[in-house]
Formats: sequence, structure tokens, C-alpha cells
Amino acid sequence: MNYQGDRTTGFASPVGDNIEGTIDLMSTALDLRQPSRYPVRVEGDALLGRAIRHGDILVVDSAVAPRAGVVVVASVGDELRVCELTQRAGEWWLRSSSPRASPVQVDDDTDVAIWAVATGLVRTDV
Amino acid sequence: MRVYGLIDGNSFYCSCQRAFEPRLKHKPVVVLSNNDGCAIARTREAKALGVKMGDAWHIARKRPESRPVVWYSSNYALYADMSRRMYQVLAERLPAVEPYSIDEMFLDLSDLPGDLHERCRQIRQDVANHAKIPTCIGWGPTKTIAKLANGLAKDHAELDGLCDLTDPVVRQDWYCRTSIDEVWGIGRQTKHKLLGAGIETIADFVALDAKTVRQMLTVVGGRVQAELRGQSCLPLSDIAATRKSIASTRTFGRLLLKWEEIREAIAHYANRAAEKLREDGLEAAHLSVLMQTNPHNGDPWYAKHAAVTIEPTSDARDLIRHATALGCAIWLPGYRYFKAGVILSDLRPAGSQGQMFAFRDPVQSATVMAALDAVNARFGSGTLRPGSTGLKRTWSPRQSLLSARYTTRLEEIVKARSW
Repeated sequence: MNYQGDRTTGFASPVGDNIEGTIDLMSTALDLRQPSRYPVRVEGDALLGRAIRHGDILVVDSAVAPRAGVVVVASVGDELRVCELTQRAGEWWLRSSSPRASPVQVDDDTDVAIWAVATGLVRTDV
Repeated sequence: MRVYGLIDGNSFYCSCQRAFEPRLKHKPVVVLSNNDGCAIARTREAKALGVKMGDAWHIARKRPESRPVVWYSSNYALYADMSRRMYQVLAERLPAVEPYSIDEMFLDLSDLPGDLHERCRQIRQDVANHAKIPTCIGWGPTKTIAKLANGLAKDHAELDGLCDLTDPVVRQDWYCRTSIDEVWGIGRQTKHKLLGAGIETIADFVALDAKTVRQMLTVVGGRVQAELRGQSCLPLSDIAATRKSIASTRTFGRLLLKWEEIREAIAHYANRAAEKLREDGLEAAHLSVLMQTNPHNGDPWYAKHAAVTIEPTSDARDLIRHATALGCAIWLPGYRYFKAGVILSDLRPAGSQGQMFAFRDPVQSATVMAALDAVNARFGSGTLRPGSTGLKRTWSPRQSLLSARYTTRLEEIVKARSW
């Protein structure tokens, strides 16, 4: 079963050298073999505004540099949180989706650290 | 100039646990050996509470000082994947990396552009960020010196995890202050021999006449001395060459009396060993089985080992058949068995030798095993397996404190609350 649109038996296929193979998500957007990629299960619907739902699998990458506006997984004290990252006066802050919760500054001294930056999402129950 | 480095994960197993559990960051953490027997990895905090390497868990955990310790069963699926990540981060940045053990890797740091200290600092930071493992790096002109430098980096907090022993003057200074038993390849016996001859520091040892060292400690000791003098005798190797043997040996979760139970365990070990064989594309032509009672609980001692030459195979069914037949022959009633195992040796590439009177059709066997492996690769190890390996497996090793396999099982990945 090696037919890729090229090796026809009757008329020569016009595709020539343009065979490109199927898109392989596993070696691109979802490549968990990269040493800095980790899968994370999202709990709760707080990030529905970013279209991230309870039960989603986030692919996060600890080698990606943080940027304002990205979704990150961060360790805050004893727990891991999924939230938005913002920048203010050169400092990184975690912003809650709830307007009532005040932002938390990323700071080693207060045990708040960016764990990895979200780079992809897998949803198995659509 | 030739420069070897050694990077080593700090309390590696504990660090793997910490990578996924922020609550462990400053806590004393201890990882236990197979069957939750004894402490095999401890964080700095746990060491400070007096938990020793090899401490029996059932005793150590009852001490009042051990109250704050967080204990874990060893989670080898997780540790293997974290070691793989560490290796990959290094391999992407350096021309050659040799995985020496699950948590130690030798590095080729020769002729790298720029400042080597800065380079190592960056590598260490990348491993910490990407693979989430804190490390120390030591380096010098030989592997033995790199290993020593790594130990110094670990023991001396003021070095900030990095130790450079390329400069002979710096090296000599450390040699004068460091005991000979810190050296890789100097075991307890050698140390006593040297102490008896009045040799305490590395400097004393290095100053000895090379011929004297060879006479006292054979060529092996001579090589250690040459390496410490900066003459490289041990080159960097690749990933370990194909295995010479595959062992699947375990202590049971409880003592086993009945042959039926031991039979199940032996079938399971044979099945696991067969999986490892096929992973490496090998077949085994020699199989041995061992069985023993507990040497420490006062039971009568019984330990038996039997071996047989077999038609080269990697078919789980054949290996189970041979292993259980051998096991049955060495099992004696009346003993409480503590441990058993299956060892495959005389390994060769699969299909390298045609069999004139093959017991099993090799093509059909390969198809069945490939299907078995494919199912287990997709749905998890042990999903589909020979019935002889048991259903309930009440003899399985104790793993009462097992954490999730965060990176190898989709059902067990780390959870994070959206905020």
C-alpha cells in the first residue's frame, strides 16, 4: 500500500516530484518527544474566554520564552495553574480570568514560577 | 584541548517527583527501592533529617524525625522518560553525550567556542528549565577528573553547581584537600590498602611512582592514577552496545509458598524479558531461572538456579514454556519463596540463524508477537498478555506510594486548574 498518487499503471501521473506525505501532527504541533514538551490536563472552565475547556489536554513547552498574552502553566505555591500571562513595567504577572481576583506576580521569593508555555491543545471530547 | 564533563541530576528520582509537584519544592522527599524496601534517593532536606541511603522504610518512617518526609515508591517509567529528556537537551547542545547511568552523563566539551564555564552554566540552566532536573557539572581533561569535579560541585555549595578542574594548579589544590575515596574507581578495599600505606589524599596518590601503583593496585589502579594525572585512558562511549543478557528478577510483594503462584510470577518475568528482547530486535538462545528464600528473616535458606540452551526465540510463549518448566524442576515444597527471576542470555539478532526443525513457524510467531507489542504500545504495557502471567497477581511487588506516570500515560498526566 505505497500508492501516493504517483505510481500509476496506465497513464503516467502528473504529480511528479510533488509528493509531500501526510501532515504529521506528532512531529510538529503536538510533538511530545521534544524534551521540553509536557501534556497537561486542564481542570475547570475558567479559561473558556480563551476557548480552553475542562478536560482539555494542553501541550506546554518549557523552552518557549514567555510573552505577554500567552497561556501558561504556572506553579503558585503548592499547585499548578493554567492562566494568562501579562507584563507590567518589566515584570511578569499571572492574570486570572475572574475580574475579582487580583493578578499574582511571578517571583521566586513568593513561590510563583512559570512552569511552561502552552503551545497546543488537544480535545478528545468535541 | 580534550575536555570531558560529567553532569549528574541532584537526587535524581526525587527531582523527577518534584518536577510535577510544586508542593514538594522545599519538602524532604525520599524514593524507595522496588517493593518499597529501602531509601534509594533522598533530597537534601531528607538527608538533613537523618534518612540514610538504604534505610529500611518500615523502620525509618516510624522515627519521629521522619514525620515531614514525603515517601514515594520508585516510578521507573517516569524516571526513564525524565532521563531521556535530560539526554536530549544535552545531545542538542554538545557533539557527544554518553549516558553513563540513569542520572549521570559524560559530555564531550572539547574545543567548544567561548567561555567553557559560561557554556556549562547555560547547559545546566537549560536542563533545569527544559527537563526540569537540577544538576551539577564537573569537567576536566579526563573522565575520572570530570567525575571528581562533579562530586566537588555537589558537595561545595559555593561552587554553584559547577566545578572546573582543567587547570593543573587548581586541580592540585583540590587534590591536597580531598580524600582518596572520593575518586571514581577507588573502592573500599583499595582505599584501605592505600590508607595502610599512608596515602590519604588524592595528592598523595598522584605523587606515587606509577610502577608502585601498578604493583599495589594492578593496571586498573594504574589507570586511575594516570587519569588523575590528566592522561586520558577512558574515551567517551556511545549509548551502551547491545545487551549481553536480559534479566527480569524481582522480590515478591509477599512470601510465596505455592508453585501455582510462583509459576505465574515466573511466566510474568519471562514475558517481560521477551518484551525487552523484541524491543532490541534480539533472540535468546539460553535461559535461566532462579528462585530463593529470604536470607534475612530467619527462614531456612534455599537458593537454586537452573539453565537451559534453547532454540533461539523471542516468542513470549516459548520463553514462558521453558521458564516454567525449569522453575518447576527447581521448586521444592515447604519453603517460603522471596524472590525469583528469569535471565536470557546468548542473545543474537532476530532471525540470524535459520532453524532446520523449528518448533514454531517463525513468520507466524513474529506476526503474533508484533500484534501483541502493538496492542501494548497503544493501550499500555501488560494490556494484552499470556494468560499464564496471571490476572490478579497478588505477588506483585508492593508499590503503595506510586505517583502518576506523568509523561508516559495519558490517563495520568499532570493536572492544572484553570484560573
